[in-house]
Amino acid sequence: MNSGIRSGIVTAVAGVSLTAFLVLLLPQKVDAIPAFSRQYGTSCTTCHSDFPKLNDFGKAFKDAGFKFPKDDETFLKVQPTMLGAPAQKELWPKTVWPGSIPGLPPIGLRYNTFFQVVGKNRGNLATPLGGTIPRTDFQPGYFSIFTAGNFGSDIAFWVDDDISVAGANANGSLGDGYLKFVDIGRFARMPKDSFSLKVGQFELDLPFTGARSYNLSGYDIYGQPNIGTPQQFVNNNLALGDAADGIEVSGGHNYGGYHYSLAVVNQNTSGSSASAPNVAPANGVAFASDSNFKDLYGRFAYRFNLERDKASRNDVQAAGAMGPRDHTSIRLGTFYFYGRSVQRILGTSGAAVVGTAREPFYRVGGDFDFHYRQFNLYGLYMYGHDHDVLPVFDETGLLTGFSRGIPATIGGGFIQADYMPYPWLMTIMRWDSVNSPADRINGGPYNSTRNRFTPGVQFLIHANIKASVEYQIQPQYVYLSTTGQSVPFRTNIAVAGLEFVY
Amino acid sequence: MKRNALLLTALCMTVSLAMYAGDIKGKVGGASGVSVVWVEAAPGKTFPAPEKHVVVDQKGLMFIPHIIPIQQGTTVEFLNSDTVAHNVFWISISGNKKLGHNLGTWPKGERKAFKFDNPGVAPLLCNVHPEMAAYVVISPTPYFAESDSSGNYKISGVPDGSYSVTAWHEGSKQQSKPATVKGEATVDFTLTK
Repeated sequence: MNSGIRSGIVTAVAGVSLTAFLVLLLPQKVDAIPAFSRQYGTSCTTCHSDFPKLNDFGKAFKDAGFKFPKDDETFLKVQPTMLGAPAQKELWPKTVWPGSIPGLPPIGLRYNTFFQVVGKNRGNLATPLGGTIPRTDFQPGYFSIFTAGNFGSDIAFWVDDDISVAGANANGSLGDGYLKFVDIGRFARMPKDSFSLKVGQFELDLPFTGARSYNLSGYDIYGQPNIGTPQQFVNNNLALGDAADGIEVSGGHNYGGYHYSLAVVNQNTSGSSASAPNVAPANGVAFASDSNFKDLYGRFAYRFNLERDKASRNDVQAAGAMGPRDHTSIRLGTFYFYGRSVQRILGTSGAAVVGTAREPFYRVGGDFDFHYRQFNLYGLYMYGHDHDVLPVFDETGLLTGFSRGIPATIGGGFIQADYMPYPWLMTIMRWDSVNSPADRINGGPYNSTRNRFTPGVQFLIHANIKASVEYQIQPQYVYLSTTGQSVPFRTNIAVAGLEFVY
Repeated sequence: MKRNALLLTALCMTVSLAMYAGDIKGKVGGASGVSVVWVEAAPGKTFPAPEKHVVVDQKGLMFIPHIIPIQQGTTVEFLNSDTVAHNVFWISISGNKKLGHNLGTWPKGERKAFKFDNPGVAPLLCNVHPEMAAYVVISPTPYFAESDSSGNYKISGVPDGSYSVTAWHEGSKQQSKPATVKGEATVDFTLTK
């Protein structure tokens, strides 16, 4: 292999391995929407069991396009501003179809701050990370703005943006930003809620949201790239949890029955670091897909209602003896992602592309989600497979073609159990597992399979203020001793977070 | 003939009783908004429970009305007019947790009834919409009144005699004062938090 290319790949591999650990140190961002509390004059707990974890009603509210599933107007305490009288509909197409905007700007703000204690042997991490890791550390987290609502005609919107991350304003970025045309299938007389369209930037319809997770640390498998070993020509930084740009059609409900989605999105094998624009930015828009190919993502799930009470089985929430609650249910689902990782081979003399390896890849998995009263058990398994298309060079270093190498594979998932003994207290136990032989070979984890156990507890001080603690029992990593031997070590981390939304 | 005589006697007794009944009026200060004032039960006197039911609606994530003054023994029907499930419960009546009760959950258009046999104040709550609140103020006698928003109240038809009169306001300490009714009595309250 061309030594220049090879060294470039190795650098990328090392960077990704260390980044994988660093991600564990950074707490997760979460979102909840106090803007809805203002509009409807209701508490966060109407939609969230432990914000931002949605209860069944919150799922129905989201499915409906950020509206109450029925008679939304009767619940609004702040009436929307009409952008045209409803009677204008009769005049269409001779007039603009009348819509509305929320009566109050539907803006929510969120801030969180963290405290971390790192294991005593953290010094083993310090050298590769190029600095010292303090035993204890305070750290500001995210200051974010988010806005969401409905423009009438069942057109929903969502935009969230991090104004500041870790105390640095420059680190903020757009999270999701999309319009969702809810139940447009009604125009074709399709079954209710069977066909909706989302356009913009959004988190893929993952079985369990990573972008709006209530955990302090993210699910490891959602952040797992597939890099390959130095002997492979695989460098796919796509992580399932990354935001995607494109369109998504979906149908069904997340709170019961079937649910499906199919998305066509830009290829993003650069991961969270965006590629350079393809063309010069114009009018503030720079297009930066990694390739011409569009990736596909599909998901299907079915939630079986196990509620014994027939009367409330088809309602959004079950009629519990002591008040409404989530249905006893189990959801089974599957997902599939297909893409093509495009790697361009640059000549040694400059930036000219001398060859392009197009490596098909897929991620496939299954998931379950079981609810019984205050207990929730859920999990996911994902398998990833990247074809390895190896460039072939002649003795002078010229690219002569490609050959098929050994595919790079990853796998893993998580199982999490939540229990809420009180409405303000949630206990959590999670097991994350990621298998990547390449990560081990590239230097990082001691074993090909990285297991992480994360017990945690979260307290709602108020419905909008939360204190969280989790203890991460990390997998073993290795460092090189002075004699050149790989020495395994484990550095556990305790993280506490304080968060408020308003 | 005999029947007419009986009717006349009954009419005379009613008129004479009314002549010995008066009003208690006054103002509840120290708190803004609606208060409830009632006459406490006198020893040995009992009052039949009203047959008419009172309806409390749940609409737009609110209890309507917010304050429900009733006589002891009244049955209250809780109606759900919302398209979301609601729950009604109270953890105590005037602090007595043994009198707490949870009515469960019921869908739109349906009602659940409860007879309030104990006097006091029952703070109504909904366990999925914690912002929802209302108060059932259960008077031991039929002599009670809701004040206007300025605190002015008037309890009519109170028989002459000596009583204890109690004022209640949401978020304030309940206060009782003696009152002697002889045609009319004025009792003012200044409630504190």
